Amino acid sequence: MGSRQDPADVLIIGAGTAAGVAAKHLAEAGFKVVCLEQGTWVDPGELPGNKPEYELLGAKDWHPSPNVRGRREDYPVDTTDADLPVWMYNGVGGSSVLYGGIWARPLPSDFRARTLDGVADDWPLSYDELLPYYQAVEREMSVSGLGGNPAYPPGFEPPLPAAPIHRTGRMMAEGMNRLGWHWWPGTNAIPTVNRTHEGMCVRYGICRMGCPEGAKSSTDVTHWRDAVSLGAEVIVRARVARVTLDERGRANGAVYLRDGREHFQAASLVLMAAGGIGTPRLLLMSACDRFPDGLANSSGLVGKRLMLHPYAVSVGVYDDDLENWLGPAGEHIGSMQFYETDASRGFVRGAKWSLLPIAGPLEAVEKWTDKGSLNGEEFWGAGSADRMKSFVRMLQWHVVPEDLPEETNFVSLHPSLTDSDGLPAAKVHYRVSENTNKIIDFHLARSLEAHEAAGAEKTWIAGRNFMTGHNTGTAKMGDDPTTSVVDRFGRTHDVPNLYIIDASVFTTSTGVNPTATICALAKRTATHITSNAREQEVAS
Amino acid sequence: MSVVNFTAELSDTSRTRLAALADVLIPGGSGLPSATEADVAGQWINRVLGASPDLANPVAHVLAIEGAPGEVLEQLRQRDPDVFDGFAFAVGGAYFMNPAVRRALGYPGVAPRRLPAAEGEAEYYLEDDILAPVLDRGPVYRQVPA
Repeated sequence: MGSRQDPADVLIIGAGTAAGVAAKHLAEAGFKVVCLEQGTWVDPGELPGNKPEYELLGAKDWHPSPNVRGRREDYPVDTTDADLPVWMYNGVGGSSVLYGGIWARPLPSDFRARTLDGVADDWPLSYDELLPYYQAVEREMSVSGLGGNPAYPPGFEPPLPAAPIHRTGRMMAEGMNRLGWHWWPGTNAIPTVNRTHEGMCVRYGICRMGCPEGAKSSTDVTHWRDAVSLGAEVIVRARVARVTLDERGRANGAVYLRDGREHFQAASLVLMAAGGIGTPRLLLMSACDRFPDGLANSSGLVGKRLMLHPYAVSVGVYDDDLENWLGPAGEHIGSMQFYETDASRGFVRGAKWSLLPIAGPLEAVEKWTDKGSLNGEEFWGAGSADRMKSFVRMLQWHVVPEDLPEETNFVSLHPSLTDSDGLPAAKVHYRVSENTNKIIDFHLARSLEAHEAAGAEKTWIAGRNFMTGHNTGTAKMGDDPTTSVVDRFGRTHDVPNLYIIDASVFTTSTGVNPTATICALAKRTATHITSNAREQEVAS
Repeated sequence: MSVVNFTAELSDTSRTRLAALADVLIPGGSGLPSATEADVAGQWINRVLGASPDLANPVAHVLAIEGAPGEVLEQLRQRDPDVFDGFAFAVGGAYFMNPAVRRALGYPGVAPRRLPAAEGEAEYYLEDDILAPVLDRGPVYRQVPA
């Protein structure tokens, strides 16, 4: 065992999106915060977005799949028994480094799926309870957008002005108006004015590869720098092997590996923030005599109920050059027209749509060549020049279908595959459910109608199940310790000083991008900890 | 997967073969150059393999197959689509990196470049009350029981 660090008040495991929000809040309140992160800080100069090779680098070194990147810090994720790849980024800022920056709150009905639709479970909290935390983190994350969106109750006023919807958004908006369907200018965690730590968006259009301008709100930029200046310590290249308990069953720190040596970090309180795959992996790796099936797993639900948002995409080719490469990316416009349940459609729940730019020609080629593309034409060969000439005349709708929880979709420890430190890899077991497939079918059909109404000369479904970085539900939040892992504040039912603050706690996945809710929940948990510090049980 | 140190070993003969294969995928026309005309098998494939060395494997795989370029690629597409896709990705990546190709396709610059929004641009695209129909329809979310 290597050197024992000075005890922390709060140990955070993983330096991702939620961790940044919590670390800054806790450090501001005077807590001594230590974070163990298996990756490193991102050097903005290394990000590919303003280099001629950007699409090639985005397909390898900066690919959102850890299996494709294959960096030392990327633990393998076996998806041979999964219907789609699993994406994440391991480093300071976590997956916010490579997300698109789309900022989407769920709706009040998302927190009452059982009550309203008879499926899944109600969250143990409501939209209204989360509202002040959404509003707080929208300021911290420099969210830009237009207030007054009738898809939401009053109280959704993005703090920064909306970005232009461009020719792309205008073209589609006119089509949506012809159909009488909802649309709204895009809401993104991408600043439209200069901020303390961020420049304003310069519209590279490559947000999903990381922003070289520092103009996308990833928490390495928005939170971690402040947290460190307030005294928080981030130990990088530190791969946690297990969370430990004291003799009373309180979490008292973590064993981690760094440069081939084993270390121990002691703490009074432990926050898990390793993401919807990493957190259950670590809890399962932390099995002990008291919790032989995995730490905080008396419910048996650690790793279970994995929800992934199997994305789908449709495209249309239009008459005019739409400058569809212009950022932010980020959404230009969004639609919640078919978000709410309508039982006459033959399924429950729904999906949000986002109209996204297309970062470059190689991404455009995928609209023909993706295995899920129904274009029907071979892209390469005779006629390819004409197809290439259509690249800048394309629009794409991304559909984010709500995925309901099922215990047959889960994360487990791999029996043989390991990471670069010899720790068990994650194995994902995941099948797209019948209800989710019906959501996708319906929404893709409607999105093709939207393209046609907007004037597309040709439309097609360009892919489904092609991605998700939305890894949720694997440590369910609920009031009942027998049917959930954490309580309404993210505290594990089994270990009173062990919290989970990432997307693992989602009771349902909702049908929107999760970052807003991840940040709001992390802010709420951090606020709860600072407000109840005197009553908080801690390690001895 | 081992990575071939490819660009250093790529002979003139191999580059000629690569160009012929690439022309099958990208024959040009409609104002766009062919792969050969765009120098795919020269400096641009070097740039591709420098950025993504793993792509040397499918490129080397295809170069090692003898036969008429069109037949080689058609058989590969049917029998080994992963290798075909990797080869096409490398060739396409090289082609699209050529600034003349990017320009002809309508992309500005040799890479994404800074184009901050102009003052009033956001408002411009919302002119003519384009949001009025959305607002006139009112709320579209469900009420939730307290």
